[in-house]
Amino acid sequence: MSTPVVFDAASRVYPGSSTPAVDSLDLEIQPGEFLVLVGPSGCGKSTSLRMLAGLEDVTSGAIRIGDRDVTHLRPKDRDIAMVFQSYALYPHLTVGENMGFALKIAGAPKSEIQARVADAAKVLDLEPYLDRKPKALSGGQRQRVAMGRAIVREPQVFLMDEPLSNLDAKLRVSTRTQIAALQRRLGITTVYVTHDQVEAMTMGDRVAVLKDGVLQQVAAPLELYDRPANAFVAGFIGSPAMNLGTFRVEDGAALVAGARVPLPRATTAALTEGEVVLGFRPEALEMVPAGTEGAFPVEVLVAEELGSEAFLYGTLAAELKDPQLVARVAPRSVPEKGSTVHFRILPERLHAFSVSTGEALPTS
Amino acid sequence: MSRRPRGREERSIVASIGLHATLLGAVVIALFPVVWVFLASLKPKSAIQSSEIALFDQPSLENYRRVLLDTSFPTWFLNSVVVALFTMAIGMAMSATAGYALSRFNFPGKRGLMWLFLITQMFPVAILIVPIYTIMANLGLIDTKASLVIAYCTVAVPFCTWMLRGYFDTIPRDLDEAAAIDGLGPFKTFWYVILPLARPGLAVTAFYTFLTAWGEVAYAIAFTLSDDKLTLGAGLQQFVPQFNPQWDLLTAGAVLIMLPASLVFYFAQKHLVAGLTAGGTKG
Amino acid sequence: MTLTTTAGPGHEPGPARRAKRGRGRRLLDRHWYAWAMVLPTVLVLGALVLYPLFQGVFQSFTDLNETNSRDVICTKTLGGGEECAENPDRAQFVGLDNYVDLLTGERGDFWLLFVNTVVWTVACVFLHYTIGLGLAVLLNRAFRGRSLYRVLLIVPWAVPAFVSAFAWKFLFNPRFGLINSLLTDLGLDPVDWFNHRWTAMFAAIVTNVWLGVPFMMVAILGGLQSIPSDLYEAAEMDGASAWQRFRHVTLPGLRPVSSTVILLGTIWTFNMFPIIFFVTGGEPAGETEILVTGAFRAAFEGLRNYSLAATYGVLILSMLVVYAAMYRRVLRSKGEVW
Repeated sequence: MSTPVVFDAASRVYPGSSTPAVDSLDLEIQPGEFLVLVGPSGCGKSTSLRMLAGLEDVTSGAIRIGDRDVTHLRPKDRDIAMVFQSYALYPHLTVGENMGFALKIAGAPKSEIQARVADAAKVLDLEPYLDRKPKALSGGQRQRVAMGRAIVREPQVFLMDEPLSNLDAKLRVSTRTQIAALQRRLGITTVYVTHDQVEAMTMGDRVAVLKDGVLQQVAAPLELYDRPANAFVAGFIGSPAMNLGTFRVEDGAALVAGARVPLPRATTAALTEGEVVLGFRPEALEMVPAGTEGAFPVEVLVAEELGSEAFLYGTLAAELKDPQLVARVAPRSVPEKGSTVHFRILPERLHAFSVSTGEALPTS
Repeated sequence: MSRRPRGREERSIVASIGLHATLLGAVVIALFPVVWVFLASLKPKSAIQSSEIALFDQPSLENYRRVLLDTSFPTWFLNSVVVALFTMAIGMAMSATAGYALSRFNFPGKRGLMWLFLITQMFPVAILIVPIYTIMANLGLIDTKASLVIAYCTVAVPFCTWMLRGYFDTIPRDLDEAAAIDGLGPFKTFWYVILPLARPGLAVTAFYTFLTAWGEVAYAIAFTLSDDKLTLGAGLQQFVPQFNPQWDLLTAGAVLIMLPASLVFYFAQKHLVAGLTAGGTKG
Repeated sequence: MTLTTTAGPGHEPGPARRAKRGRGRRLLDRHWYAWAMVLPTVLVLGALVLYPLFQGVFQSFTDLNETNSRDVICTKTLGGGEECAENPDRAQFVGLDNYVDLLTGERGDFWLLFVNTVVWTVACVFLHYTIGLGLAVLLNRAFRGRSLYRVLLIVPWAVPAFVSAFAWKFLFNPRFGLINSLLTDLGLDPVDWFNHRWTAMFAAIVTNVWLGVPFMMVAILGGLQSIPSDLYEAAEMDGASAWQRFRHVTLPGLRPVSSTVILLGTIWTFNMFPIIFFVTGGEPAGETEILVTGAFRAAFEGLRNYSLAATYGVLILSMLVVYAAMYRRVLRSKGEVW
């Protein structure tokens, strides 16, 4: 019943530009899968989605939905439904008419339209609002109407372009789970675009990270978190972000603020330069007494106490990509601002990347 | 003695009086010629042309009776209504479709078209009359209403297209894309989604095209010959012989001409600001 | 080199040709609806404006007039047939003669008309804009009766140009017009409005200003409403006075609207035919003619001189094109995107 979607070396070059907005994207989306496209603004994630929707021309390569090549089909012939960031509800139609519009255009009988709109309205708690115009609805309700419009279609693929970015923080969290649950229940292949890595991690079966039009890595959320393919993915996924810094390597160990952090043999073997990019997440740091093997001093700038956990922001006398270093520490006994503490990197949670290419280096 | 402090949005009495006085003055100037023509239309001919001026002077509807019964005015009026309505319908259809294409699509020839519109505004209409007359004559359209409708469209369409393009630009493109996903082609999108949302823009277009056709004189004189084909603009010239304008008929006729125009104006006026804004802010 | 022997029925077109045909098809495929949407407009404007325009440019280099407009002269023969011969006096190519004649004042009063046109255009556009701006600023505040004022002030727009021309001619009538009667009541001498160049021009300008202010007012009002109110609030926080807010927030905010309406207004006023034609009729003795009415008279009065009228037309068009190009350049240099 569900349909796979394939991007086959699909590229998009805007007229008058020499660099592609989407560069030879290869991506296979499994039937019924919830795939999230994530990346910073301008990375090509929306363009990719719009190529799939047929709103953007494919310059080269192909896109397939199921076994149909849809590369040059018009949007209406692709059997897709889309939720827009702005929702794009027709202001002159009521909620019910908005949801049933596509069916009406397709010439479906009135009774069927009504039944399907009623079903969708029930699922989305929109029943009392069917006769209102979008103008009279709250942001969250409009968002649900936009969802409803997509559901009513019963398409082969759902496309969602940052559908939560216009909601306030609290509503965003609850809607996030609703959308994910709804998708699982309907089992319709879904491609979801967001710039928010938390959304990506919590909603997607798999997450595709893009940067500058190039696909960096596709993997399940935890896989991305635990085994980022390169320094960009490592820094993008996770909050607070992973600490990344460039360090000199001597005798199989990286020199971190005067301390020697031993590197796995596999890493040193793969090194081609005398430097390495090390990555370690805030929770990969362990506070230890001064003088411990591999421990380095950090001056505390800010301590964020969240109750369930706490984060220390400090400076490290070495080159870090982000001049600040973040460490997760036990709550309710946080070192004072201005004091100096010592940290050690848990060896099994150390990531290493090549300085020149940014590619991950083996650590075991 | 306690005085309530003046709120931010309130004006002092003096400023308020100044504001209303200025606007009232402007309104008087705006309405006066119209009112004056109306008052004159109620006077007998001798009183209109008397140097003793009074607001009312033996008021009667005699002038209207004569215009309506003793002249071909009703025929001209009807002709004008037909011409103006057709100009409105055809002009709106042309400028709405062209404006939509200019607003939404990047197509070869777009720049040229924009230039054509600008040039059209620059070439004096008075000089186009002869060649257009020749073309109409070749098409056998002289002395028909069709010739006037076509000619008026050339006058009104460039401005209307430009204005509607501006208005369409304010309608989010997301809606077009949503419509495309919902299965509409460009024409259906235009018809079902864009047009219903462009009402203010269309109201201004309707107003503008109607007015262009309603009181036009030069083309009307040149293209229509027989008395039963004349429109108001052309017909009323008969009340203005070289040396002896018939002010009694003219004033009554002028008032009657203004009636349908005010009707269209009344329906369009509340959209005028919104409709014209979009066109104006986009260059 | 190997020969492919499996060429089936109908050779594959060569890749180059296929690509070319594909490109044409793709263009048509992509753009046909856009083209279809502009086609009616292009056809009508092309046939009725562009074609006559090129024809006019061509005619301006000939001595075409009413008497020599035929290429052939046909005479009925005795047998009922027709015999046609080339017209010996047909219009001829005269090069730049028309332009030289006009610009040196050999024929017509080009420079008088030119000065009149410039005075007329500058005065009208200036008054349209300033009065329109003033009224729009007043109407852009919240007060009781504002929408009623607005409707009443737009009324002149709904009056056909020639009707307002007659209405004002009636008011300015030297013998029984209201304006002279008011002047006499005030103890002043009545003015014989249409007997002097500048008083006649004044009457025409008053009429046109009356007619044109509503359009400007509505356009500027729209522009004012598109200026975000927080800009005014920010300016107020910065301590700007009412005048400074007008100067530094309102005027810059209006610039996109102003630049378009001033350009359009100039073009329209430059070619405004009915007001001059009906209000002054060129009186006294052609001293208040502007270029458009002059062209019209050349084409339609006395011996119809089509080539001279066309020459006027081409000169008017080129002046406006130069004006528009300069206007555009100035706007660009000020950083306006247009």
